[in-house]
Parts: sequence; C-alpha cells; structure tokens
Amino acid sequence: MNDDMNVTRMLAESMERLLANEVSRDSLLKLEAGDLDIGLWRHLDDMGLITALVCEEAGGSGMSWSQVEVVLRVSGRHLLPLPLGESMIAAHALSESALQIPSGMMTIIDERLSLRPDGRLAGVGRSIPWAFQAEHGIAIAQRNGEDFICLFRMDEAIRMEQETLGRIPTAKIDLDGVRVLADSPASTVGKLGLLPRLTALRVAQIAGALSGVLEACTEYANLRIQFGKPIAKLQAIQQMIAELAAEAAAAQAASAFACQRLDARDAVHGAMVAKVRASRAAGRGARIAHQVFGAIGVTDEHMLHYFTRRLWQWRSEAGSEHWWAERLGKHILGATHLPLWESIADR
Amino acid sequence: MSFPFDFRPFEIPAEFCTLRQEVRAFLRDAAREWTGWRIGQSWTGFNREFSKEVGRRGWIGMTWPRQYGGQERSEIERYVVLEEMLTVGAPVGAHWIADRQSGPLLLRLGTQAQRERFLPGCARGELAFCIGLSEPDSGSDLASLRSRALRVKNGWRLNGRKIWTTNAQNCDLMIGLFRSDPSAEKHKGLSQFLIDMHAPGIDVRPIRDLTGEAHFNEVTFDDVFVPGEMLVGVEGEGWAQATAELTFERSQPDRYMSAFPLFSALINTLRKESAADRLACRRIGETYAELVLLRQMSLSIAGRLAAGESPAQEAVLLKDLGNTHEQGIPDLARELLDVPSTIDRQDMLSELQAVLTEISPMFSLRGGTREILRGIIAKGLGLR
Repeated sequence: MNDDMNVTRMLAESMERLLANEVSRDSLLKLEAGDLDIGLWRHLDDMGLITALVCEEAGGSGMSWSQVEVVLRVSGRHLLPLPLGESMIAAHALSESALQIPSGMMTIIDERLSLRPDGRLAGVGRSIPWAFQAEHGIAIAQRNGEDFICLFRMDEAIRMEQETLGRIPTAKIDLDGVRVLADSPASTVGKLGLLPRLTALRVAQIAGALSGVLEACTEYANLRIQFGKPIAKLQAIQQMIAELAAEAAAAQAASAFACQRLDARDAVHGAMVAKVRASRAAGRGARIAHQVFGAIGVTDEHMLHYFTRRLWQWRSEAGSEHWWAERLGKHILGATHLPLWESIADR
Repeated sequence: MSFPFDFRPFEIPAEFCTLRQEVRAFLRDAAREWTGWRIGQSWTGFNREFSKEVGRRGWIGMTWPRQYGGQERSEIERYVVLEEMLTVGAPVGAHWIADRQSGPLLLRLGTQAQRERFLPGCARGELAFCIGLSEPDSGSDLASLRSRALRVKNGWRLNGRKIWTTNAQNCDLMIGLFRSDPSAEKHKGLSQFLIDMHAPGIDVRPIRDLTGEAHFNEVTFDDVFVPGEMLVGVEGEGWAQATAELTFERSQPDRYMSAFPLFSALINTLRKESAADRLACRRIGETYAELVLLRQMSLSIAGRLAAGESPAQEAVLLKDLGNTHEQGIPDLARELLDVPSTIDRQDMLSELQAVLTEISPMFSLRGGTREILRGIIAKGLGLR
C-alpha cells in the first residue's frame, strides 16, 4: 500500500470513530424531521473532507476519487445524516471550472437545465435530496448548446416536499428564474453531466450500508438464541449471511471500480457497471437482512430499517440498476466493431 | 475499519499489452479447428499437442525460475495469459493443473531433485499432472479420506481409491493425498505423494458423465510402490500443504469465465440479428456488469497475492459469485434467444449451449462446493 492510500486510510479511520460516536438513531430521527447536526458538519469541514477532491491550488487536499472512495463508503456505513458526498462532488466540480466554493452544504441537480439569456435558470429537478437544508445547489445548464456549471441559492427555487423511502428530506424543485451566482463553461462533463459522479457516490453509500447490515446480521445471529443455541449455528442462517457477504463484497468492488473509472476519465462506464451491480446488491442484501432479523427487524425502534430504507432509496437514485443496465446493454450490443472480450480487457 | 473485505483496484500494467496481443494472435490461429463442444469444455479439455505449442511459446510455468524451464515472468503476466486462454475456451487441460497447482507446489515444497526432474517437462507441456483428493466416501469432508500410505523399505505402499480425478486417464503424474499415519487426528497424518500414473498396481477407470464422454476417473491403488524420494514436502503436513494455495486457485479467471465463450456468442448473435429489445439490453447489461466486476475482484486478489498478502476470504467470495455468474449464462442464452434443446453440430452457439448446460452443474461443485464455500465465509465472518 502506498503512502497516499495510508493517508486515506487514516482519514477514513478518524471519520469512522467520529461517526460511530455521533450518528445514532436519535440523530437519524432528527434528520427525518428535517433537523441537521450542524456541529457534526463543522467537524467534518474542519477535517478538510468537503474539499478533499479539490486541487491543492484551490485550497483542497487534491485527493483522487479512488482515495476518497473509502470516505464516501464510511459515510454510507454510518448513514451519515448530512450531504457530505454531495458537497464534496459540488466543491470539486466548481473548482474544476475555477469557480469559488461557497461555505455550507451543497446539493446537486443531476438533470440538465437551461441557462436563459438573462442569466437565470429554467428547468426542474425531479427528486433532489437535501433540497431544504443545502444552502447552494449546482447543476449543468445549457445555453446555445454549450454546457455551463452553475451555482445558485437553493432558497430561490420552488421546493415541493417529496416523500421518499429513505426519508432524507427531499424535494421536487422548480428552478425557473433562479439567479445564477456564478457560472463557467463545463467542457469536461459529458452528455450525462454530473450524474456519473452522483452515481458513484450512491454506489459507495450502498456498499457502506451493506457492510453495516452485514455486521449487524452477524452480531445478531451470534446473540439470538432459538432451539437452545445461537441461530448463527444453523447452516440455513450461515448460508444466508454468506450470500449477504457476497453482495456486500460485490458492492464494495463496484464502488472501487466507479471511483477508479472516474480517475481514468471513463466515468460513464464506471457508473453503469457499478450501479447495476450495487443496486442489485442493495435489494438482495436488504431482503436477506430482514429475513435474518425476523419480525424485530421491521419494528420502528430497531435500527435495521434505517439501513434498509436507505438501500431501497439509493438503489433507485442516480439511475436504478435497470435504467443503467439498459443503457449498458444497448451500448455493448451497439458496439458491433468491438469484440466482447476486448471491450473488457483492453479498456 | 468496519469493512471485512478489501477489494482495492489493481490495474494490469500497460506494458503487458504486447504479451496479451501475442497470445491473442496465437489463439486466433489455433482456434480455427475447435468446435463449440470443445470450446465449452475449455480448461477440462485435454489436448497435448496444443499444450506443447503453448509450452514452446514459454506460456506454461512462466513464473518459474529459468533453471526449471520457466521464464521468471510475473504472476500478473501469467494472469494475462490465463485470461486470453479462457476467453476463447482453449483446451488447456493437459497443462492446467501442472501450471496452476502441481508446479507451484513443487517449487514451494519439492526437493531439488523433484523440481529438476519434473518441472521442465511440465513447462514444455509434455508432463501432465492430475490431483488425487476426493474418494468415494470423502467428498466435501475431504479430511476423512482413508486411502493409505504405508511406510516400507525405500518408500511407501499406496492402497485405496481416488475418484473424480479429472483427466487421470491421460495424465503422467498425480499428486495424491494419502493417510500416512492412521493414529493421528483427522487433519494430521496426511501426506502428499508424487505418483507415476504408469506404476504397477494403478488402475484408472474413466467415468462416463452426462455429456456422454469421460472427463473424470476412478483411480484404484493396489499396493502401489512409491519411492521415498517422491514424498512431497513434509510427512504428515499434507492437509496444510494441499489447502495452502486455495486462495490462489479460487480467485483465478477459471472460476467465473467457464461460460464466457457462450456469453460472447450470445452477444454476437444478438448483434447480428439486431434482436435485442429493451429487456434483452437490460439482461445483457446486468450480466456484463457482473462479469466486469468479477474480473475486478479477481484482479484485486491477484494484485494482493503478488504483494505477498493472503486474501483468503475475498477469494472464497469471488468463487461463490463467479460460479453463480457462469452457471447463469446458458439460462440467459435460452431467455434471450429461445435456444432449443436440439443440438446442431454445425452451429457454434448451439453446441456451446448444449455442452455448457450439461457441464455447468460442475462449476459450483469443483474446487469446493457452494455450500462449503459459504460455510467458510460464515466462519470467517465470525458466525459460530
């Protein structure tokens, strides 16, 4: 392991310690009521996490996607009730276009908007998490066929609250007439704009949450006594949890892959492959976890549903496994000049 | 850290591209004669002439020291060669076991004389090895095996039976696990021997399988004499020796690429017929994503092994996922192309579909059954 990876590991470990102490059922309840832990946010900011991807000249840590991957995964592992990943991606995208990074929380509109001649936006975000808490939003907006990255204030948009499975405060937002505070040509983003980055974030969060679920299932199976012994002794339970472990492992590999492809400027391919697999793992993993926990796992007071509801949320956000699979399949089948194996090995 | 696994990415260095292209070019020519039926059998297919060709090119035992016929190339270069071979379903069975298991075992634990005598022949593709582990009464519970090795003057006498030994009928040598000390506990008292398959007292009975062909065998040992110098490693350490390299074996491309040629043929057909609707695209996308990530996981393990780590849990997980993936390919072909149950011997896809349907049950049996693997995963997670 090289030094860079050691730095990452240390960062992730201190973040783990922090989140293990600070995130509880109580803070998740507060989040679902729309109330964010500002103290924890400041702490993460002080650790330099928000600008981790921002290059050093712009005041960040200049880390690669592969380096921050574990940070994003840890945020999923502890169900961090703050828009850290979104803010990291936004800060990085702004700095890429040499724009100033505002302080405070940010969220991302993953649909392409229009930039009107009067310098205001037009368009909607169909389902935007953190819409009420983030001070700023960023989006890719088009003017005369050219892409611009735009920064704006979220409170200028019309926000219509949406119920979601994950219960992270989310809104449908109407951005018509919202002033653009800063914009800059965004020539590096492709047809899908910021979506692949958001997809990588959701993949990392799914991988993290699945590890949390796996740990919880293992612990519970060792404690829960039925037929006079811990259910962990039952082969049926062992086989189920082993399957859950395989799903968690696949999601983790997907997360690493998405970030590696982001670093290699092959973001769409990474997002396609990773989200297809991770979202599938999310559904399967949640199903197995509930089976292991039995009825107690579906009670409101139990922690499990905070994990599983987010897994159900994240698997659909930033492109579901089905949406991405169709895109990926169409791409593979359409690339008639490229033999299947070459498309994998010669990438 | 709360993550029980580590799948950090590993990228194959760009400089090995040339090697990949060389292997590809060689295989393009060699593959002209192969039928779908043979391609589908891939690494269980035995073709000594092909193995000799591969050996001539220095692609068997390529990581071994030059003094034993190797090329002293890296494990990652070997990995590249394996990938290319499996992609086209090359009949690598005549050198596969020597390259993957027996050779490395002799390098690690064999005597100087054993290495000098056997490794160069393996590297030339002339000496084929098989592995004698399972017995009629010892399958998943391998350590209960009962075949005996009795110490005699200048060596050992072997008695008992091995079963499911792939390609034993064609092999020159076996590395077999025998009970050398019946008084020791189950996992102790086992030893590994290098056995000449032509020695008197060995009877090889091919077992016809559901394909109509015989790939594995029952091997009977009736007072077979093995010279003392053919003990491998340390007497009584056979169990640890035989299981030590499982991480290696379980994480290689052969654990998820067995049906790759069919997946490739399926995609070619869909492309030609422009027959893919939205749902077909989704199923192809799903399967492709799985394959890409299995390869990433396998590469990650290969990279960590090359760095001297021992990612055993990751390897078991990979094999479990990989076997499920490869077993799903014939189902996918049926789903998307309505491949009939008739076999058209002129048609590549038809033959691949037929042979892979028939042999795919083996994928999650060989090298540790799915249930055994999942038991290992559970144990590794701390379920007890």
